[in-house]
This record gives sequence, C-alpha cells and structure tokens, in this order.
Amino acid sequence: MEDIKDDAIHHTAMKLAEEIKNLSIYKSFYSDVQKLVSSPNVKKEDFKQTLQQAMKEKGLDTKLRNTVFHWVRTQNKNKLDPLTSLSKASAQWEKRIHKSLNSMCSDLETSLAKIRPQTEHEELAEKWNELSTYSLDLSKYRPVYAPKDFLDVLLTLSGYVPFTREDEPKWEFAHLPLQVKNLDQLRKTYVEWANGEPLLGVNPNMPSIVQGFATLEAERIALGERVAALGYAPVIQEYLKKGSPQCLRARLWSQVLGAEVKQQQTNYFNQLKKSVLEVDLMIDKLIFKDVQLTASNDDQYFVFEDLLYQVMLCFSRDSEVLSAVRSLAGAALTVAVKGRHGPDCLTAFPPSGVIPFHGFTMYATPFCYLYDEPVQLYYIFRAFYMRYWHRLHYISTHPQGIVSLCLLYERLLEANEPLLWIHFRNINVNPIRVVFKWLMRAFSGHLPPDQLLLLWDAILGYDCLEILPLLAISILSFRKENIFQVNTLQNVDAVLADLSTISVIPLLQLALMKP
Amino acid sequence: MTTSKEKCRIFNRKEKILKFCTDFEKSAVINSFLKRGWDQVTPHEDWNIYWSSTLNCRALFNSGTLQDNQFINHFPNHQELVRKDLLVKNIRRYRKDLEKDRNPVADKYQETLPGGGSVTRYLYLDFLPTTYVLPTDYNIFIEEYKKFGQSTWILKPCGKSQGDGIFLINSLTKLKKWFRESKKHSSPNLSSKDVYVISRYINNPLLIGGKKFDLRIYVLVTSFRPLKAYIYRNGFCRFCAIKYDTRVTELDNVYVHLTNVSVQKHAEEYNSEHGGKLSLNNFKLYLEGTRGLDVTKRLFKDIHWLIIHSLKAVTVVMSNDRHCFECFGYDIIIDDNLKPWLIEVNSSPSMTATTQSDRILKNKLVESILSVVLPPNGIPDVRWNKTPSDAAIGDFDILIDEDALYRNKFADDDNDNGKKLRIS
Repeated sequence: MEDIKDDAIHHTAMKLAEEIKNLSIYKSFYSDVQKLVSSPNVKKEDFKQTLQQAMKEKGLDTKLRNTVFHWVRTQNKNKLDPLTSLSKASAQWEKRIHKSLNSMCSDLETSLAKIRPQTEHEELAEKWNELSTYSLDLSKYRPVYAPKDFLDVLLTLSGYVPFTREDEPKWEFAHLPLQVKNLDQLRKTYVEWANGEPLLGVNPNMPSIVQGFATLEAERIALGERVAALGYAPVIQEYLKKGSPQCLRARLWSQVLGAEVKQQQTNYFNQLKKSVLEVDLMIDKLIFKDVQLTASNDDQYFVFEDLLYQVMLCFSRDSEVLSAVRSLAGAALTVAVKGRHGPDCLTAFPPSGVIPFHGFTMYATPFCYLYDEPVQLYYIFRAFYMRYWHRLHYISTHPQGIVSLCLLYERLLEANEPLLWIHFRNINVNPIRVVFKWLMRAFSGHLPPDQLLLLWDAILGYDCLEILPLLAISILSFRKENIFQVNTLQNVDAVLADLSTISVIPLLQLALMKP
Repeated sequence: MTTSKEKCRIFNRKEKILKFCTDFEKSAVINSFLKRGWDQVTPHEDWNIYWSSTLNCRALFNSGTLQDNQFINHFPNHQELVRKDLLVKNIRRYRKDLEKDRNPVADKYQETLPGGGSVTRYLYLDFLPTTYVLPTDYNIFIEEYKKFGQSTWILKPCGKSQGDGIFLINSLTKLKKWFRESKKHSSPNLSSKDVYVISRYINNPLLIGGKKFDLRIYVLVTSFRPLKAYIYRNGFCRFCAIKYDTRVTELDNVYVHLTNVSVQKHAEEYNSEHGGKLSLNNFKLYLEGTRGLDVTKRLFKDIHWLIIHSLKAVTVVMSNDRHCFECFGYDIIIDDNLKPWLIEVNSSPSMTATTQSDRILKNKLVESILSVVLPPNGIPDVRWNKTPSDAAIGDFDILIDEDALYRNKFADDDNDNGKKLRIS
C-alpha cells in the first residue's frame, strides 16, 4: 500500500516539476539556483544536502514551496458543469448580455472596438493619473446589468418543481440538487471561531494571554511580523483566520495570494495600459460610468477614483483573467477592431472576458485602503477576482459559486431562524432579495472599510466564501425584531440599509459558537 | 406610553423647564435641545443656554451679568485664539515665555534654507507655518523673505472666514504691488479687515489619491484655567475637488489650493454625495494600511500636541468665564513628511450640513457637546466642577484635563494637609 502511495507522490512530483517549468517565474528561479550552485557553499560531494541548505538560507526554499502552494490552488478541474440546466442558463445569460451590448453599440452608432485616434490617445496618456478629469459624454451609456437583473436570472433557475402545491412559493433555491453545508458543518470549517478563540476583530484591546504582550493586538502584530518575514503562504493563510492588523494586511494579503509585484508585473501592467491607449473598446465608457456611479459617489472611496480608473481599465485588457474564468464564462465575444487589418483584426471583447455590471468597481475599492500605488492595487484586485469574486457573478454548481451561496443562505435561514423564514413567507417577500446585493458584492460598499477588511481576512484565511451568507443571516438575526415589525420589501430594505454600526466578527463568532 | 421627551419635560417641570435660544436656524442645534425636552425662546427671555453668533455674544458680554444657570457657547475674548494675527502673537509670546523659563519644550535649532540663509526653528513648538502680520511686520517680512528663495506664501485677511479674500503669491514684486494697492484703501486706524497674515505656504501637502486635503478637528473647551479640553472622535478630512497641482498657472485656481467647503462647493467637480469629506477614522485606516501603525500613531500624537500647546498659548489672556464653553474647529494640514501644521482655529464652525452623513455628524456633535457641558442633572450651573462622567463624555476623548492631573498628583500624597484644590 505504501508503495502505491509513494508512487503516486512521485508521479505528482514529476508532473509538478514539469508544470513549474511552464510558469513565468521559472526562468528567474532557475538562474537563482544556478547562481547558488556556483557558490562555495554548495559542494559537489554532498550536492543534494548542501544545495537544499543553501536554498533555505536564500529564501528559495520558501519561494519553491509558495509556488507549489499557489499551483495546487489554481488547479481547477476543467470539466463541464454537471448540471446541464445551469450551464444552459449560464450560456443563455451570457448571450443576453452580448446582445444587449451589441444593441447598445448600434443605438449609439459606435463600434465595439476601434483603433483610438492619435489625439485621443495622447489626451488619455496625458491624463492617465487623473482620469477623473478626462471628460466623456456618458449620458447615453447605461450599465449592462445590475445585481437585481442577475438575481432574476438566478431565480428562474429554480423554476423546475416536480410537484406544485398551492401554497408552495416557486422561488426557492432548495429545488436545485446542490449540496450545501448546514450550520454544524460550517462550525467544523470555521473551527477556530466556533471554539471561541480570541479574534482580532472582536476586541483588539483585550488582554493577551501570551506573556509579554499587553493586548491581543500587540500579540497579533508581533506574530504577524514574524509570519510576514517568513513569507510562507500556507502559514500566512493560517494566520489570517484570526484576523490581521491593518498595518500588516497589505503585505500578508499579497503574499498569501502570490500577488507580489516585481519588475515583471510592472512591465505587464504597462503593456495593459498600452493596450488601453491603443484600442478603444466600448466597454471603456461602461467602466468610466461605473466608477463614476459607484466609487466616485461613495464617501468611503471617492478619494481613490483616479487609481480605480486605471485598475479597471487595465483589468479589462488582461487576457490572463480570461484563462482563469474560461470554464465559467461561455465563449467570449470576439469582435473586429475597426481600423485594424490582417490577422490581428479580431479581439476578444473584452480581452478579460469579463463584462462589468453596475457596481463591479466595488470589487476593487476596499484595496485602496491598503495600497496607494496602481500596480500593486491591480495585482491584488486581480488575484482576489481570479480566486473569489468571479464566482459571485457567474452561474455554476461550484460550492463557492453564487448559486450555492444563495442556497446556503436559504437553508441556514430556514433551519436556524424559522420565525424569520415564516415571516418572510407571510409578507410574501423572497428572503434572498433582501441580501442578494450583499452577497454579490461580498459586502463591499455596504460595510465600512475596517469591518469589510476583517471579513475579507476571513475569506482568505479559510479560503472560502461561505462566510458571506453566514454574515447575511447573522445580520438578519440581529435585526429581526425590527424586521418583524414591517411587511413590505421596501421597509425590510430600510431596516437593513445602514450597516455602519455592525460589528462583523463578534456577530459571526456568536453565530458559530454553540449556544 | 410617555416618550423620553415627555419624561424630560415632566422631570423638568418639577424643577423648571429649561430653555435655549439660538442665533442659527440650524436643525443640528435646535433638534439636540428639543430632544432633551428644552423649550426654544428668544434672547430677551430667560434662557439657560444661548447658542449665539460671535457678534451677539460680544454684545451680551458687554451688556450685563449672566445668571448662575446660564451658559453661553463662546468665551468672551475667543478671538485670541481665532483671529489669525492674534493667534500668531500669542504663540510667539508663549514660546518666548517658555524660553525664558528655560523649559526644554522651547528648545530651538538652526535650519539652513534652500535660499542660502538659515532660520531658527523650535524643535517641539514648530507647528505654525512661518507667519507675519501685515502691515505691522511688513519690513521684517521683506528681510526674511530673501532667506527663503523661491517660495510661495498665502495671504489671509484676519477679519474674514470661509476662504474669503485668501490668495497666493510667489514673488516679492506681486506682494509689494498688493501692499501699495491695499494701503490706498485702508483707514488710518487699522480695523481687523485691514490686517492680514502672510504665511509660508505648505507646498508639499500629503496627498491621497493625488488630492490635497486638510483636517477638521473639533475641540471642546470648558475651561482655560485649569485647562479642560476634549477632542471629538469624528473629525474629517476635507478634499479639494480636483487634483493638486503646483504649477504656477494653477496658483489662482482656488479649487486646487483651498480646502474650505464653501469654496469647493462651487467647483464643477464638487460632489454633493460625499461633499469631499472623508472621516478621520477612514483616514487613520488608510495611513495604517499604507504607511504603518507607528507613523500613524505618531502623527496623531503630534496633532494632539499641537492642539494642546495652541490652547496653552492663550490660557493667560483668555477670560475664564465659568458661563462659557466653546467648540473650536481646528484646521490642520499634514505635509508629506507626516508633520501636522496648524492653519487656523475657528470659533463657530459651520453647523451647516452638506451631505447626509455630515448632517448626522453635526447632530451628534451638538448632542455630545451638551452632554459634556451640562452637569449630571442636566441644568446649567456655574458652580459645578465641570468634570463630566465617562458616559457623559461620549464621543469626545479627554485631550487635557489639568484639573484631574492636578488632583491625581496630590491624591498620591498621604498627608492630610496636601494641597488639595477645593473644587466647588
């Protein structure tokens, strides 16, 4: 038995070694190792041992481990979605979006893609760092869709009901044959929280149980410094489970996602920028509009609007994003670039394959409290998107996808807050309607930044989005007395409109700890 | 079911209904009093708190005496702190006094300027940008200016507010020209509107998102001797609507340089959703996230230090009338070395709310002020020791309480004849 296991490990290791050769860091990594080999520390007699030692000292050991860690995490089984009804619905939805874009394009008598005229190119380049001053007439452009529209599509998914009973509302996700966790299983996932361990987001000033530190915050900062210095991604992930101090977040988040910025990344970003300047995609107007409608109007994020324009525009040109979400997105729209001829005349629209919806910018805004420089901001946003956010606006059966999260929310509500569940039925309000916008945006724009960042620590730490529906339930539970008093959707929305006083982590920990 | 307001009135009726009057038709002020069950009256009637304008309160102090149960929201000679030229005068005097006492707080050092000359700076008390009063210091200024080389200066009239009449100059010829012009219009006896201050312009402000901002921090003072000051937790940053630009052509573009909301409101890019205001908490979050915890802590320590010493600078000249409290609006600019500079102190900070969150802030501010300023039974009384409970302090933090410091110092003495102040 052991032999088979060893063989399997050996086989995987060989495969891994091959795969690593294809990664972009391979070249510089290999040359670093070569340099080490030629150093006096590495001896021919005891090659393996001395090389391993030297690599450890130089940090190449950590680098290799991190590379393997990130590689494992990005392995997705590129098989087709098992639930054909969902994949059909997904394809239909994508088609609708493309159609909408095309009709917007013809209504406005513009092209989806064209070479940017020289004057425009120059003006855009000049104003690159202050795009909020670049004036565009966006009055006729509207966002392609909003969370509400997406929700309507999701609700039609669950339309299939084998037996209809008169009193059974047709909108439950429960009819979908998807497996989601219940509260006890969530407790096993978030085991540290369920055990009542001290979390930074509850009370940073509580006295520390560790010798030598006055407060929990001081203890976490010291530990966090060591974890950051070690730079080993799985350890950082473990650390993030209990919350990160704001002063260390930028470093830790970059490291855990492998989103650190070196020259290679800066060069790539500049290429994306060049791409934005050269070809005018209609989506640029939609991006401008979205930043203006959301971030520029938000009293927590308006300051950062100029950074956000750069990030969102470059994101749209990034074909590496397309390769990550390809399994979910249908065929990307390909269009001809007006003014370009020959083999290059077609482009994916947009190259990233992602058509932004109303509020898409909010996936990026909270990072502005951690990074004040566009390239770093770009890469952390991109890493989060490619690992988490894309799941929130594509239809799939993935256990972390928006459909499963909605189902999880429904199940948790029914099982743990039965009175609320009944109340919603009585007032004929679909409970998902009340929280959907929170889930789709991972609460960005709904929670104040300091609380949001604590929530996103937990997403990174446990590498899962199930905390979002759990938080939604906890908030409803917290405000249930007020919800019981109202009987229309608008009034329920009003009860939940202001989340500025919510303390996210204590609320969540309370929900996870057994009564 | 009796509402809390009705309960208040029932309680007060046993004693007396408390009355307020105000010169401002500002809901933030009026609602806070009405919430406590107070009645609004005119200034001629018997009021308990008068939320007055600076003009009216001067008349009031000049006219007659106030009763023991009457409070007013200004100190009689608050202009010592609030008028730009008097603030400069007081801080200069304060520093010299400390120097005379050989207090190390007043230690100095020499700084060499790019222009070639050197200037003496205070190590710990250098929080006011180099300022001269015009026309009094005109000749001194011309001499000193040569040391600074190419530099920009900001001229502010002493008698105005809301960014009115402020402009920048970057050449001596421009200043001389302005000075000649102004002399033609001024009266022989200089009134406050003829007095200007000229300060070294902070041309390296800290920028966020490429935009310049200043801080507005509210400081409530209930007594100057002993000094009791409270700093409001929810201050905010006021941002310029457009990007900061140091090019000369932009010198006249007030929207870039001046952060007063009343000026920014008229810029095309002004957004009434957020009004260009970012909360102090978010500012702290941003600094911690991008620059680290230590520098953030140090910055806020420096800000507190600045405020405390500006207040100490005027304690000797302030009339410490026990009927008075005042909430000052401190305007502070932070440069890109994370050093805070005091720009000015305002006496009746605008109670106008520009956005929804602003409305909430101003409402809470007035409520918090009343909570600190009123004795536990809610009735103004000059004989109260002005020591609010922890709960009453609410959204304020104690900036400095010399009374408590003094008491604690002598509480350690075991002797019965320790010099305890009789607090009445």
